[in-house]
Amino acid sequence: MLWLALVFPEWPLQARFRAQAHTQPLAVAAKQRVVALDATALAQGVRPGQRVADALALAPDLLISPRDSRVEDAALKDAAGCALHFTPHVALATDGLLLEIAGSIRLFGGLDGLLRALRSALAAAGFHALSACAPTPRAARWLALGTPGRTIRGPGALSAALAALPLDVTEAGEARLATLREAGLRSVGDAMKLPRDALALRDAQALRRLIDQALGQTADPRTFFSPPPEIDSRIELPVPRHDADVLLFAASRLFNSACSQLAAAHAGIAECLLELQHEHEAPTRLELRTGTPTHDARLLASLTREHLARIALPEAVTALRLRAPDWIEQPGRSRDLFGTQAPSPQDRQEARDVLVERLRARLGPDAVYSLSASGDHRPERAQHRDEPGRAQPAAGKPQRPLWLLPEPELLAERDGQPWRNGPLHCLGRAERIEAGWWDDAGGNDHPAEALRDYYIAVGPRQERLWIYREHTAPHRWYLQGLFA
Amino acid sequence: MSASSLHTLLHRPDVWRANDTAADACPTVSTGHPALDAELPGGGWPIGDMSEVLTDCCGHGEVSLLLPMLAQASQADGWVAWVAPPWYPNVSALAAAGLCTPRMLVIQAGSAGERVWALRHALNSGACSAVTGWLDRVDTALLRRLQLAVREAALPLVLFRPASDAHMASPAALRLQVSIAAEGEVRIDILKRRGRPANRPVHLGTRPGIPVRRADILRRRPALALVG
Repeated sequence: MLWLALVFPEWPLQARFRAQAHTQPLAVAAKQRVVALDATALAQGVRPGQRVADALALAPDLLISPRDSRVEDAALKDAAGCALHFTPHVALATDGLLLEIAGSIRLFGGLDGLLRALRSALAAAGFHALSACAPTPRAARWLALGTPGRTIRGPGALSAALAALPLDVTEAGEARLATLREAGLRSVGDAMKLPRDALALRDAQALRRLIDQALGQTADPRTFFSPPPEIDSRIELPVPRHDADVLLFAASRLFNSACSQLAAAHAGIAECLLELQHEHEAPTRLELRTGTPTHDARLLASLTREHLARIALPEAVTALRLRAPDWIEQPGRSRDLFGTQAPSPQDRQEARDVLVERLRARLGPDAVYSLSASGDHRPERAQHRDEPGRAQPAAGKPQRPLWLLPEPELLAERDGQPWRNGPLHCLGRAERIEAGWWDDAGGNDHPAEALRDYYIAVGPRQERLWIYREHTAPHRWYLQGLFA
Repeated sequence: MSASSLHTLLHRPDVWRANDTAADACPTVSTGHPALDAELPGGGWPIGDMSEVLTDCCGHGEVSLLLPMLAQASQADGWVAWVAPPWYPNVSALAAAGLCTPRMLVIQAGSAGERVWALRHALNSGACSAVTGWLDRVDTALLRRLQLAVREAALPLVLFRPASDAHMASPAALRLQVSIAAEGEVRIDILKRRGRPANRPVHLGTRPGIPVRRADILRRRPALALVG
């Protein structure tokens, strides 16, 4: 067994804002005291434990948010979702995670490779963690708190490594630790050296049990995190913002953590809902659709970019929330021997769907379509718009123009000849189309029934047009299409 | 110098003969019109490069020029993208020209910026087997962006532009102006191509997409053939 402990420094702050760039100092407070703060605030003299009023006196532009344990829980689950990509054994700790990684080290090319990949996955989701490895979960956590970056593989070195840690890392309760400090105990080693009875006298059996667990002498069972098959995560902006870049950055944090969760579950989403929350207005809802199930964060981000370019926000955005309730199972695809593969028919299908959705996100849902034949002989009704990929093949007809006008255009008539910027001369013989007698949708003025003689006509600039003359009075001329 | 060594010398890739079109400069796909292919460098629409077709009037057979290429591309597993066509493409005419019409994707876009954006996405998506678009009032910066996109995509990109843009500089590798000659033939002036500039127009006998007129048939064939 090898346990990797991750500890998120300044967790209440990280959980809320996920390392977004900002200029003002930030802090999170609970019960009127600062519990977490960023580097800017620290530089201005704010310290954890300080009273809010004192902190504001030191840093007048400090932005203080109240601590919210629900936000922290949700964020921790997001982070755990990212970690699930690396091992199925992830346990939650208050401000960190415990990962059992003995089985995954080889897959990721050694411990260093795994740590590097894990760090970048977490960073993409907006988390920054300190880590350490040890044979027991508790020892790993203590090392991560006390001497981050340390790796103890065997039980032999463990006792010495733990002995050097300060007592604070044991998280055994402030009151209890204070008693021990008064007794002159400074490090975990000092507590280890004391006989068990002596610790019991000082009301510190609990500490002794923790030490036994850390050394692997007592069982320390952990429940592993199993994520619910849905995504509902939220990120707050330190300051309400309008700019698409900032929003996109925050959104991509959400996408990255959602997508590593999906990847770990071998699932994908075909649609998700990104809510841009405002202070006063109702949230702006962006429905992102990908056509085919995906867990590609970049794709979701690029769809969001197109949406953001199109919409106007009623107000600055305070927070973003991503919801994806419907997961779709995606069977894994293995790579071939040389790591790459020619795009499979499935990949090509996916690329086609993605293109359609991306174009629609920016240009509107009606702007992208295919055309299907309708089986009506009236040319203006002979085809209709269809969902891309579902269109039916059409039968070819000779002597048909390439362009069709959406509606026949009434032509002027001079000396009995049709006229369009000049006289139109008909070529060849007429083709009669009689159809639509069953249809009286148009009313009397615009009968849907078509009794027409079609001609190919030459215009004044030698252009070829497809025109028709009504067979019935008043024998008007219409332009229907162009031979382009 | 013997004839054979002169021959080898002339066929070195770094020797360019002023009366040659740049034959193997770039891969191409045939236009489907042999008379036009003969005048184009590489014998067709350049792949990975931009071509422009300029017309001053719709209805001169400018789109039909493209149909053989589109028909061939539609056999592959990808969209045939039409960005901002001026009217509805007629599926029965396209099917008659051999296009697999369910693979057509019509994309409506308003401003030149949006059209270029849609073209670039279509090119970059890897989901299209042919891309064509209609542009007017487009500035050179946008065209350059398109040029970069098409280079990556390894597809032929044919743009339709108004003839009034002929005087504007363009990064396109090939510029054709389509008009109608006296006999009703399609006249194609090659305004720009790789290699030696063209000095005479190409005439396509019948207008593509339009059936041969009965009179033309009578004129060209001996009467006996008609009887047979």
